[in-house]
Amino acid sequence: MSQATTTRTLTFSQAIREALREEMERDDRVFVWGEDVAVYGGIYGATAGLLEQFGPGRVIDTPISETMIVGAAVGAAITGLRPVAELQSSGYFGIAMDELYHKAARWRYMHGGVFTVPLVIRLPEGAKGAGPEHDVSPEALFLSASGAYVVIPSDPADALGLMKSAIRDDNPVLFFEHAGLYAYRGEVPAGDHLVPLGEAAVKREGSDVTVIAWSRMVGESLRAAEQLEAEGIDVEVVDPRGLRPLDLDTILESVAKTGRVVIAHEAPKTGGAGGEVAAIIAEEALEFLESPIIRVASADVPIPQSRYLQQFLIPTAASVTEAIRRLD
Amino acid sequence: MTAISPATLLELYESMVTMKLWDQTALRLLQEGRVLAGYHSGRGQEAIPAGGVAPLRRDDYLMYAHRGFGYTIAKGMSLAAMFGDLMANTAGATGGLGAGIPHFADPELGILGQGGTLGSCFGIATGAAFSAKYRGTDQVVVCFFGDGTANRGAFHESVNAAAAWKLPVVWICENNGYAVSVPVAESTAGRIVDRAAGYGMPGVRIDGMDVTEVYRATCEAVDRARAGEGPTLIEAMCHRFRGHYEGDPQVYRTDEETERLLALDPITNLAARLVADGIATEERLGELEVRVQDTIDRAVEVASSAPMPGPERLYEGLYV
Ligand SMILES: Cc1ncc(C[n+]2csc(CCOP(=O)(O)OP(=O)(O)O)c2C)c(N)n1
Repeated sequence: MSQATTTRTLTFSQAIREALREEMERDDRVFVWGEDVAVYGGIYGATAGLLEQFGPGRVIDTPISETMIVGAAVGAAITGLRPVAELQSSGYFGIAMDELYHKAARWRYMHGGVFTVPLVIRLPEGAKGAGPEHDVSPEALFLSASGAYVVIPSDPADALGLMKSAIRDDNPVLFFEHAGLYAYRGEVPAGDHLVPLGEAAVKREGSDVTVIAWSRMVGESLRAAEQLEAEGIDVEVVDPRGLRPLDLDTILESVAKTGRVVIAHEAPKTGGAGGEVAAIIAEEALEFLESPIIRVASADVPIPQSRYLQQFLIPTAASVTEAIRRLD
Repeated sequence: MTAISPATLLELYESMVTMKLWDQTALRLLQEGRVLAGYHSGRGQEAIPAGGVAPLRRDDYLMYAHRGFGYTIAKGMSLAAMFGDLMANTAGATGGLGAGIPHFADPELGILGQGGTLGSCFGIATGAAFSAKYRGTDQVVVCFFGDGTANRGAFHESVNAAAAWKLPVVWICENNGYAVSVPVAESTAGRIVDRAAGYGMPGVRIDGMDVTEVYRATCEAVDRARAGEGPTLIEAMCHRFRGHYEGDPQVYRTDEETERLLALDPITNLAARLVADGIATEERLGELEVRVQDTIDRAVEVASSAPMPGPERLYEGLYV
């Protein structure tokens, strides 16, 4: 732990790559596959350099076959390997949905627990101007995929630490990475930096209102909190760092302290995971609420390709600020 | 073509008899209301699981289909565990989750399980074969599927990747002419075996009612896979004697058609051959049948004595 006092600066994308590299060095059962992950290094650069270090046996370009990419990762996982498979966009979830939802998540349970399915599926998500099928944030679709973990980092340090934990975990992990975060730089602890799965991070402490946010909306919420500080509003930002396991203790503790809740995510409001989180708070902590819960999310429309129109749709720090001002 | 030894022929015969008597027993349990799941009889198609699994080693991998329980019987799965799964009690391999469309597995025997969505087998087979190659073992994967299942898109994605990467898989398509009610000619363009050429791998169409043909073709394909020469597609032409599921009114075919099939029974035909070739007497085959039935009855007894699971079973084994 002595090393943990030093840090290094990495982009989100480099942090993912460092996690892959460190885990591939540590465990030769770990391999990476997906479209353009080898020679090209991944379209977001998250696998750059791995081919040179580990060779074509462990860094594998697949055909454009999302069903196979996930299905075969399950086959490899139940026979002793630890695949990290990349879908080039989480928007392709539908092509691999049976494999994600039923095979990865349920193969262990439905066969009586005789297997473990230790795999990670990397799922780039979020608005980036690539159109309605690519720019989705579909994490809430997997709320009902019991058996699979849903992990979502919001900064480079968590990207690295969560990815390393995800690779070491014996449960299947769906790992969502916001494409708009890949170039974002941050301090990452040196050494073997592990972030436990299912542990929320209080990214900012505050006493007046709890903002529960994940992925890109964590940074937006922190900016909103800074603005509101000047107005004397003390905002706490809680990042669950994923949806399953969900760290209810940290969320409910914060709600009990502040009594006010804003939930912020980029996915459209209807069917977004904010609804589930709000329902849990209503069930478990209604007596602490001094104001109705507000959800900050995209409107219920497909995300247009035009970045110009996206600015009116995708929530930002201003959306969070506006929501907090509306609280009683 | 190498001759199959008398000992192997007898083993294949016993394997098929076990499947047939298992099927009869399962149907009886079903009638008695002791089976908590649907059942897709494999009667008539025994030559394919028998001949297709016999060439495998214990550590080779099996992806099986829903047509009877023959594949796992041949791979050595506990009979009591399979009956337990039919009865959805704690003797089952799934510990009471139930498995009419079998969802049991035994990693020790290389039995990798089965999905309820047809075509699940393809990706997992490719992945297991990749895994064998990655780990530097010479394990082989055999993947069984019906003609109907061959029309899933997952077939293309997985068969293509396995062929491109020269993975050790043997794809065995059981073409019984129907997917539930739909005849293969109405649903399928071209011959399934001809797809092999498109993927640059060997493909053979064989008589799937003849266990010796299935055994020989699979031995060749397994040898090729084990030697690192990549996958093979075997299309085994066959007939299912009963409905798609028990209670299927079979409006899509005539009684005459199903009656005519009985003459093609792979088990009685092999028995006649064994007797004609002097490999066994009718008496010996009769004794074999009694012995197998006895084993099955004992397995049913073991399975029957197990308790049903409690509600806590629902929450076990989901996460590690
Ligand atoms: C993806 C999917 N579609 C449909 C079904 C329903 N279904 C179960 S068995 C079956 C027919 C399968 O036919 P085939 O593959 O030829 O095998 P057979 O039953 O003839 O042995 C169908 C349509 C299913 N289980 N999964």
